[in-house]
Amino acid sequence: MKMVDKLSENILDKFSMDFLRNQVLKNAYGNNDTLVAAMDPRILIAWYLFFGLVPWFVNSLPFLLGCFVLVTITTALAHVAGLVLFLFGLGVFSQTGYLLVVTWLFGGDASAIAPLLVLTLKVATVSLASVTVFSGMDPDKLSQGLMWFGCPERLSFSISYAYRMLPILMEEFQSVLLSYRLRGNPPEHDTLGGKIRYLIYQVRIIVYAFYPLMLNTAKRSRTTVEVLEIKGYRYAAVNKEVKRLKLSVLRVTNNDLLFLSVSFLWVAVTILISTLI
Amino acid sequence: MTSIHKQAANQSQKLMIFVLSMALYGLATLFSELIPKFQVGIVEFSVEYFLFIPLTLAMLFDPMSAALGAATGELVFSEIMLGQFGGLGEVEKFITVTIGVYVAGRLVRDPANRTMVGAAAIGGTAIQLFLGMVVDILKVQLAVDDFEAVAGLPESVFATEGFAFLNDLLFSGILFCLLPTLYLVPKLHGKIEPLLGMEPRTTQTALEPLGAKAILGCAAAFVVAAVTQLLAKSGMSLIDWEADWAESSTSIAVAMVAAAVVVVAVVLAMRKRTEQIPSERG
Repeated sequence: MKMVDKLSENILDKFSMDFLRNQVLKNAYGNNDTLVAAMDPRILIAWYLFFGLVPWFVNSLPFLLGCFVLVTITTALAHVAGLVLFLFGLGVFSQTGYLLVVTWLFGGDASAIAPLLVLTLKVATVSLASVTVFSGMDPDKLSQGLMWFGCPERLSFSISYAYRMLPILMEEFQSVLLSYRLRGNPPEHDTLGGKIRYLIYQVRIIVYAFYPLMLNTAKRSRTTVEVLEIKGYRYAAVNKEVKRLKLSVLRVTNNDLLFLSVSFLWVAVTILISTLI
Repeated sequence: MTSIHKQAANQSQKLMIFVLSMALYGLATLFSELIPKFQVGIVEFSVEYFLFIPLTLAMLFDPMSAALGAATGELVFSEIMLGQFGGLGEVEKFITVTIGVYVAGRLVRDPANRTMVGAAAIGGTAIQLFLGMVVDILKVQLAVDDFEAVAGLPESVFATEGFAFLNDLLFSGILFCLLPTLYLVPKLHGKIEPLLGMEPRTTQTALEPLGAKAILGCAAAFVVAAVTQLLAKSGMSLIDWEADWAESSTSIAVAMVAAAVVVVAVVLAMRKRTEQIPSERG
């Protein structure tokens, strides 16, 4: 009973479209003045490749703890939106906390905790590194950085496109949804059965709303592609000269080198500690 | 022109389908990422699955573009934009979504046939979920060291993953993949294609049914997905190697720290100098 209450409250009030839109936009464009956002995307991606991969393979506890502290600091420096951090916490728990509970159900004892803690530490480190890099960076810089590393043009196009189109898409989805709601007649939701019917009604409306949305987006994507064709997109996407021109704004500064070398120093110290123990 | 057109889209139409599928599925996954999950006992009711969008598009348009678009959309909108990019794990998700949607799209020869649409929708979802489950089990087995030694862990992983698979298939699969697809495909059929300047798919214009080549391609792609996870296994030897030199020499680590200190000092010095130069000029 209480749970159903809480669920409908959650979906309908706290997670209103405006709230979501604001959080996503804040995440994308809200923090361009931070230390992380000012850095060169190539350096950050290389940095991420280390902290996103190496923790998976290493089991030494001091090293993992050291990495975790470092990425926590960088996440704080990146001023990540609150919603993202909340999702991160939820994600870490759902990935390993749930497993811990079930392990206990199957008769595991306290010995199950240590490996799971290590696993949690790994998951948390890797996710925080990605939060720092992908959330802290400007989307345009991110796509330029990926392009420099030779990612398919389509991926960097998708990132730039997504960040620009998302507010429009969300607004349109919201207005379609509202118009369905205006015309609809929601079932009573005082009793438990009524609440479940109400939930089903909400989900049905969301599915219905995708019908006009699909048609509208089809029109829009045709326009987008036609404009891209006019600008010679498919030719430019494979042309080396164009790529060089696009990437000529990237520059590695002393700040980037400092960031890299301090990270390196930190990692070296943690390795030293783990050898001493 | 008496020849029958096969439903092969040209390059810019493929790009249109890609953009369409990416934008819509990306938007939907963004929501599903944000809507809280809801558990009754151990049965999880999550609105995790908006797979009906790419399924619908793959049944109406070129399946490969729709599938790739959906996978890219999920990656970009819900992973990269929210900073939840998980590295290697995303490769697996990308490939399983692509395979599931692509197979479902190829199975449907005539979108007006509801039985075919329904079977393909649930089939594609089942493929995607099953591949995801296999990879998940592998992942946990390889990430936790001495997996077998922990009492109760192996059974619990098989049980939770198997249960999650059935739960997802029966709950999300039917409610969020089968029913919406059955509603949307016949409704959009013949209406949405002209908007992209294409002819609706019929039995005559559909691509050839899935051949051995396509199935082999899917299998190869899945192997790639599994291998990205098995990289973790090659990481096992990396651990041994590390443990080796960790015991033998602290001196290497000391040298590394020393080198790092020198690097930091050099960078700081460089920074000072570049800061001084403009001030000298000015």
